[in-house]
Amino acid sequence: MPELRGSHGDAPNHVLTRWFGTPDLHHLEVYESKTKGYSALRKAMLEMAPAEITGEVKTSGLRGRGGAGFATGTKWSFINRDAPGPKYVVVNADESEPGTSKDRYILENSPHLVVEGILIAAYAVGANQAWVYLRGEYDEPHRMLVEAIGEARAKGHIGPKPMGKDYPLDIRIYRGHGAYICGEETALLESLEGKRAQPRSRPPFPAVKGAWGRPTLLNNVETLATVPWIINNGGAAYAKFGTDKSPGTRLMSVSGNVRTPGVYEVELGQTFRHVIMELAGGPPEGRSLKVFWPGGSSAPVLPASMLDTKTDMESLAAVKSMGGSGGVIVMDDQHCIVRAAHRLLKFYAYESCGKCTPCRVGGDWAVRTYERILANEGSQVELDTLQRVSDGLQNGRCLCGLGDSAGWVIDSTIRHFREEYEDHALRHECNVGAVAVNA
Amino acid sequence: MSSLSAHVLDEIKELPGKYPQPRSAVMPALDLAQEELGYLTPEAMSEVAAALELDPGYVEGVATFYSLFHLQPVGKHRFYVCTNLSCTLRGANEIVDHLKKAIGVDDPNAVSSDGLFSYEEVECLGACEFAPMMRLDHRYHYDLTAEKIDQLIAERRSPHPPASPATSPASGEVSRPKRTRKKKDA
Repeated sequence: MPELRGSHGDAPNHVLTRWFGTPDLHHLEVYESKTKGYSALRKAMLEMAPAEITGEVKTSGLRGRGGAGFATGTKWSFINRDAPGPKYVVVNADESEPGTSKDRYILENSPHLVVEGILIAAYAVGANQAWVYLRGEYDEPHRMLVEAIGEARAKGHIGPKPMGKDYPLDIRIYRGHGAYICGEETALLESLEGKRAQPRSRPPFPAVKGAWGRPTLLNNVETLATVPWIINNGGAAYAKFGTDKSPGTRLMSVSGNVRTPGVYEVELGQTFRHVIMELAGGPPEGRSLKVFWPGGSSAPVLPASMLDTKTDMESLAAVKSMGGSGGVIVMDDQHCIVRAAHRLLKFYAYESCGKCTPCRVGGDWAVRTYERILANEGSQVELDTLQRVSDGLQNGRCLCGLGDSAGWVIDSTIRHFREEYEDHALRHECNVGAVAVNA
Repeated sequence: MSSLSAHVLDEIKELPGKYPQPRSAVMPALDLAQEELGYLTPEAMSEVAAALELDPGYVEGVATFYSLFHLQPVGKHRFYVCTNLSCTLRGANEIVDHLKKAIGVDDPNAVSSDGLFSYEEVECLGACEFAPMMRLDHRYHYDLTAEKIDQLIAERRSPHPPASPATSPASGEVSRPKRTRKKKDA
């Protein structure tokens, strides 16, 4: 059983993590006997029409927890359940947004919760087969998921007649091989089809033409893990958590310079002060918080002065950032923002799939410019170049958001820390404490 | 004489039937090849292509796209150390520096002289609450310190290292080239 560093046990806002920490929760027998596991699947298949299931998810207001935050029930309703031929559910378990570890946390703690969510979704949208696209490096989640699927198959929840109903359900695993871009849903589909993972142009959308050319529902692990609770308790009960437009709870993985890093379940609308200073214990003794990434490295940064920003998507949009993947990266005053941005730009440049030219070349331009600045060879020219490179990466010039994300790192760090950039580029000095990010 | 053994090629030929369309088998097939040889040689990619009835250039295009496929020899044990932001903020660079000295390798394309170790710095591995962390072969290691690194290395240098937990289809980066292993075991 993996070490638990984050939310678990009974608490008023623990929708997902209520039973985490229960010994052997990853075994079907415990999942069923202690947590009423698979009761939602039973209810969905025996007591509800597929449209009712989707309706309940719509009522819950659940929004995708992978990054884009699209309304889950609406996404489900895009699949034409009655269209002839195979349809698929594809689970995005390719968690790789820097600072994000929540899907791993779920898969390692309660794999059956994910399996149950997948089966309900498949039944609701008229699919008989689901594919979990699992990050290649996730060895432990893979072991857990293989075992859980095996147990569910032995019990009959996966097979020709789950819950006695004549509706075959199957779950297969496909392992990724190391490419951040596979988190993007159409790149993931390309990869699943045995190709280089390069995003597709849309339309057609996956709901019409997805995996192997068939109608496909793509959902994130956390999104699907939330579904059993919604079916058991009703969409309206779920919508009581959180805000009107961002209902519910979500898992936020808090990392970096905090005393108790962990994966915490947070009711949307709670502040980042609560998440960072209370749940994660704030920065280490003697240091102060400087900046945080509120939703993975792709979410524009917020300075310490904006710690009271709320975690719901609308509050984040109002300060030009986003909830993204729920990965909260915290940096304290001993670290240099220019070096941190340089490190992230290296990431985006490396992970660009190369399909769209602005992203393929833009990331490298940014990295080279940062390197000149950090080598004390910068001037106003480099600062202007960074800004222009950032513009070139953004604004729909590419098929997916990877380039935009790179641009947002540049933009938001300059917006909030212009003086530090000018120290480096114009005065060739770093005025930040001794420990610098060695990018 | 092919570089992949007959039973591996047979296994590869079985793969396409497991997917809605046969092309999806290319990565699982490359896994099997890499598991046997330690890394993907041009001959191996060509044999995989032939077994799947694909263009070898296509297979190479896939193999070169994904970071878990190795195109040159790797150590029997490979360290994948996260140096993305969450880990770097908690000392990942010092861990990498220590590791490089400890295994006597300072290039991700090189292998230690005893063939045991190689390393690379990788992007976020999704276990940020345990930073600094790394993947060693098929297991994650958390809250890294120089002492932990030394211990992991020592365990693997000893004649009877503890067996790592059994794992899956996997990307096979654990094994070093087959011929070397045979010679050592003989």
